[in-house]
Amino acid sequence: MSNVTLVEQFNPLLRVDFELKNSFKLLTQINKDRALSMSFDNNLLTEVHGLEYVVGLGIPANLKYTKDHEWVSIEGDVATVGITHFAQKELGDIVYVEVETLDQTLDKDEVFGTVEAVKTVSDLFLPLSGEIIAFNDALESNPESVNADPYGAGWMIKIKISNLAEVEELLSTESSEIPTIEI
Amino acid sequence: MILRTFSNLCAQSQACFRSARAKSTLSAVIDETGKSGFILKSLSTDIFENLALEDWIHNHVDLQKRSMLLLWSNAPVVVIGRHQNPWQECNLQVMRQNGIPLARRRSGGGTVFHDLGNVNFTFFTSKKNYDRHRNLQVVTSALKGLRPDMDVRATERFDILLNGHHKISGTAAKLGRTAAYHHCTLLCSADRALLSAVLKPTCQGIQSNATQSVPSPVKNLLDEDPTLDCDTIMDSVASQYNTEFGFSSPVTLVDPSDELSLPGIQRMARELLAWEWTFGRTPKFSICTTFDLKNDTSICNATLNMDIKNGIIESCDIEVPSDWLPVELSREFSLHLIGGKLCPYETSVIAAELLRTIPQNKELGRKMYNLCRRVVFMM
Repeated sequence: MSNVTLVEQFNPLLRVDFELKNSFKLLTQINKDRALSMSFDNNLLTEVHGLEYVVGLGIPANLKYTKDHEWVSIEGDVATVGITHFAQKELGDIVYVEVETLDQTLDKDEVFGTVEAVKTVSDLFLPLSGEIIAFNDALESNPESVNADPYGAGWMIKIKISNLAEVEELLSTESSEIPTIEI
Repeated sequence: MILRTFSNLCAQSQACFRSARAKSTLSAVIDETGKSGFILKSLSTDIFENLALEDWIHNHVDLQKRSMLLLWSNAPVVVIGRHQNPWQECNLQVMRQNGIPLARRRSGGGTVFHDLGNVNFTFFTSKKNYDRHRNLQVVTSALKGLRPDMDVRATERFDILLNGHHKISGTAAKLGRTAAYHHCTLLCSADRALLSAVLKPTCQGIQSNATQSVPSPVKNLLDEDPTLDCDTIMDSVASQYNTEFGFSSPVTLVDPSDELSLPGIQRMARELLAWEWTFGRTPKFSICTTFDLKNDTSICNATLNMDIKNGIIESCDIEVPSDWLPVELSREFSLHLIGGKLCPYETSVIAAELLRTIPQNKELGRKMYNLCRRVVFMM
């Protein structure tokens, strides 16, 4: 045996990772490590320290919001719509999502579907006028994905926007009635 | 004399016109009083009129500056939640035999049986003031006010339990853009035998994503205390509502069939009555079941597979062993059912026509009749 190495690692030593109500993500992390190496060939003891600070910031891409706590993601003239993290938490465990308006053309603020959670049925309001070209079928058998992943697998409908001017009226950050940051 | 009759007629029609103009809508009347709390009691026991009244108030009354309570009860009816499947929730045959209609409400929740021994309360508020726990507290406080030692408690699921075990009230709610309503039932003296019979579904083999009811043991308040009848309870809840929210509203009677003060309500009631709403709004589901077919000499096992969307049979496959019934007959029956409603009346008509085309063979005719009857019985 000519060499003994001792490695200590805290990865992470401290990590704080949170998502704000307006979908911004913040990450701070501290990693620490130390390696002690004893070489018997030349009687050398080596110590290497490491201290790493990680700071991260996440911004949702191209997301707009309505005052009814829905998010809208725009690509060209197609908008994908879902409800925000705040909305799904307010509603509770979602047991059913109904959209019977597929292929229909509706105006902004009309009801395009309903969602049921804890014995309460809530109307879903169309954020932009247009034709409803797609509905996330997976929600029929897995409505809970709206709670688990409201911005990803929990998307609800896609609209072919008929009046692009309405996009300007959408909010760029979600309004929150409770002025505290959720950690 | 002609002139006098004519002038009388003019005067009468003018008076009519004046009274029609003077009688404003309910929301205008409520706004004029300037009160922030209002209690209404429905004169009707028709579920469709009462559900339409709830929708009318939710859509037309300005609930930002006021709250309302509606007291109502209905003749025997089974009410299912917005996203439920009636075939999965109740016994449609028993309901038909007893003339009990089916209604689908716009709020969520499970299936309930209403009759004149059951009282309903609807709390209308703005979305900001939506608080189901507080509403249920009005009901439990009212009951405790009548009988201080009665053990009634609201649960986290917004049910009210008597003695911690029997359910006496269930809740459902609807959230609109700016307003909300929360309604709940209260079992005073309902017919429990009929309740058990109608809430026991008989259709087997249903696979569906519809919201399902959670069955619970129930009890009437009248069984607990014979002096607690519907009217006493309604009055007590009304006065507790005033106390809890600081209102001073008397109970005003309202007639849900009055089109003049509730414009558009008749159309709303008709929408709720239509088959396309009560049965047609069922989330898509499939039936996959086996059943026995018997006649005097033999017995066999048949299978039925159906896909139903919006209450319409989209695909249907009835398989009967070929030694019992020729394959062409069961196949023809299946084909004729596709595109039709999942409705025993429509299916009976289709079956009758098909039976007429069968060649004069008593044995075959009887077997086919058995098959048709079993399939109709499932609907």
